[in-house]
Amino acid sequence: MNGQYASLLIALPLISAFFVPLIKGFGKKAVKYYLIAVTAVQTGIAAWIFQQVYTTGQPIIVMAGAWRPPVGINLYIGHFAALFVLIIAAVSFLMAVFSLKAIEVEPIDKYAMLFLLLMLGATGMIATGDIFNLFVFMEITAISAYALTAYNKTGEAAEASMKYIILGGIGSSFFLIGVALIYGALGTLNMAQIAQLAGTIDPTVAQVGLALIIFGLAVEAEIFPLNAWAPDAYQAAPHPVTAMFSGFVVKAGLYAMARILYLMQASAGWNSILGLLITLGTLTVIVGELAALRQRDVKRMVAYSSIAQVGFIAVGFALGTQAGVNAAVFHMVNHAVVKVLMFLAIGHVAVILGGSELERFKGLGKRMPLTAFAITIGAISITGVPLFNVFWSKMQLVMASMAAGKTGVIALILAASVVEAVYYFRLIHTMWFTGEGERISEGLAISLMLLFLAALVIVIGVYPDYAWSIAQKAGNDIFNVAQYIKNVPLMGVGA
Amino acid sequence: MLKRALAIITLIIIGYWLAQGLAGVPFGEDKMLVGQYYLDNVKEQTGAVNAVTAVVVNYRGFDTLGEVTVLFIASTGVGALLWRRKKQRTAKTEGSIVLTTGTRLLVPFVMLFGAYIFIHGHLTPGGGFPGGATIATAFLLLYMAFTAYEIPHKAFEKTEGAVGMAYVLVGLIGLAIGGYFLYDWIWQDWGFGVDNVGRLLSGGFIPIIYTIIGLKVGTELSGIIDNMLKEEVSE
Repeated sequence: MNGQYASLLIALPLISAFFVPLIKGFGKKAVKYYLIAVTAVQTGIAAWIFQQVYTTGQPIIVMAGAWRPPVGINLYIGHFAALFVLIIAAVSFLMAVFSLKAIEVEPIDKYAMLFLLLMLGATGMIATGDIFNLFVFMEITAISAYALTAYNKTGEAAEASMKYIILGGIGSSFFLIGVALIYGALGTLNMAQIAQLAGTIDPTVAQVGLALIIFGLAVEAEIFPLNAWAPDAYQAAPHPVTAMFSGFVVKAGLYAMARILYLMQASAGWNSILGLLITLGTLTVIVGELAALRQRDVKRMVAYSSIAQVGFIAVGFALGTQAGVNAAVFHMVNHAVVKVLMFLAIGHVAVILGGSELERFKGLGKRMPLTAFAITIGAISITGVPLFNVFWSKMQLVMASMAAGKTGVIALILAASVVEAVYYFRLIHTMWFTGEGERISEGLAISLMLLFLAALVIVIGVYPDYAWSIAQKAGNDIFNVAQYIKNVPLMGVGA
Repeated sequence: MLKRALAIITLIIIGYWLAQGLAGVPFGEDKMLVGQYYLDNVKEQTGAVNAVTAVVVNYRGFDTLGEVTVLFIASTGVGALLWRRKKQRTAKTEGSIVLTTGTRLLVPFVMLFGAYIFIHGHLTPGGGFPGGATIATAFLLLYMAFTAYEIPHKAFEKTEGAVGMAYVLVGLIGLAIGGYFLYDWIWQDWGFGVDNVGRLLSGGFIPIIYTIIGLKVGTELSGIIDNMLKEEVSE
């Protein structure tokens, strides 16, 4: 089949979101099932693209309007994008099913539109091959995230959204100034051509432009010091949306950061930007872990833990070696699986018991054994116990930092894992060894989703080879810029 | 006082740093790698005389589709956050007779001019976004002058969705006919208006897309005004 049909990844969520006002008359149930159907089709398309890219080994280049880059905008669906587009679609599908139970606040039609557009924005950010187009998709993601954060219409949701919107607004202006600087210096917006010309750029312009872009993306990617909005937003947003934030919105920001960083590899002054990112990533880990340690609310605790994991990924990308990038990508995949599992389970508890404070989790092992089991699997995995998936990616991160000679990073990862063990084992202890309670029915659909995700955690943990080989290919897609340039059919404008 | 002084010093440092970066960008030199290509080929390739709209709708149409989506999200978001079971306008003071009569006379002209802007996007400066904003201004005038005025919500909401779908559909037809998403089939395959460049019936699908965008932006901005002007009333 024609590779251009991959543009359906963008077209389908858009046209479906625009269609929602026309069907809202059929009632709440209809809109929710419609959402499930659309995300299921999107998952199908993403799976087809994943299969295409990984069997042929060639990226799919979508050229919008038949204009060859750099004149037109192209989508670059290589190994990385194919993998993450599939993860985005699958997570959205699971969360659409979860929304059936979890979303009761009106207006449900607007929720469905914003949900689809959040998925669209993240897909576009991962797939695009043009930095201004990246900005547009980032705005789509960010603005739907602002609206979804405030969706519950409580005071704290409004406050969280306000913080997010102000930080996000400042961040995207920084990003735009960075793009303008790079365009001013190079005269092109296409990523492949930027990479081609990166060697000729003035070092000060490259440094200022890259730093601005990294600060701009740091808001979406939850890098310290621009992540103050995240814990509040995670706590106040509807439960399915929280899982989507942690599952792929952060990942899209991190990926964009890594992509632009490695495009400019050839520019002078690149190493100082790596140094900046490694400092920011380290601070993110430290602040996230220490803040998680003293939380009384489980959702907030997991939100801080999520921020700390993002720090690990940023540090992996900042090592500047192939091994570091591979490890970071592997950690992104594992983190997406585990955190979606955690937020799904915790959201499920919060929906049934009416809140996510630590006290409510007492005796959960007796009241909701399956959910408690899923949370336990997720928690053990995040701390990095062998035979669970996160162990392998933390291991790879440690090995990559060893090879890069950054011993401080190894100490950081190990120390952070100890802190993680403290607060996650406290949660596990609360669930299984304190409190009493009656059995509560847990619901078939959510039980199945929890079992599926828990099984995925264990399968990747026991047989990491397949997932690791995928992560290596995806990492190579980011690191090997020469190959990236070769794959994009640039027409010889100005070169 | 100390806070303000620190803020000013930080801003000066950031400003100096940005200026350093800007100093490295050559000013007034020809840096148009892609830009020159657009200027050289815009007429043959897109049929538009206005290079900006050709770039915005045709060469980089993907971005415009994204921008339309951003506006759609803004209006949806406002709608979601200000949603109440029953809302009404509670304005108290009626406008003076000069204001209401003036508005009555002015509104048709404003709407006509808005439509003119987006229909002539491929020929004159402007296009869908300014045209749509002008049309929304006409509705804002009506809201300001008459205390009881309300837009027909049901129709506006449905139009907004339908024109949005129409934009994506035009793109998908391009995918079906030419093999590429957002492919300009009217100009490249049909050659419609080829000897008519510079007149109304030319420009490939640019006028069509801009009409869609104009309607969409007009209904969306009017919807945002409507949502923000109304207050909750008890049933």
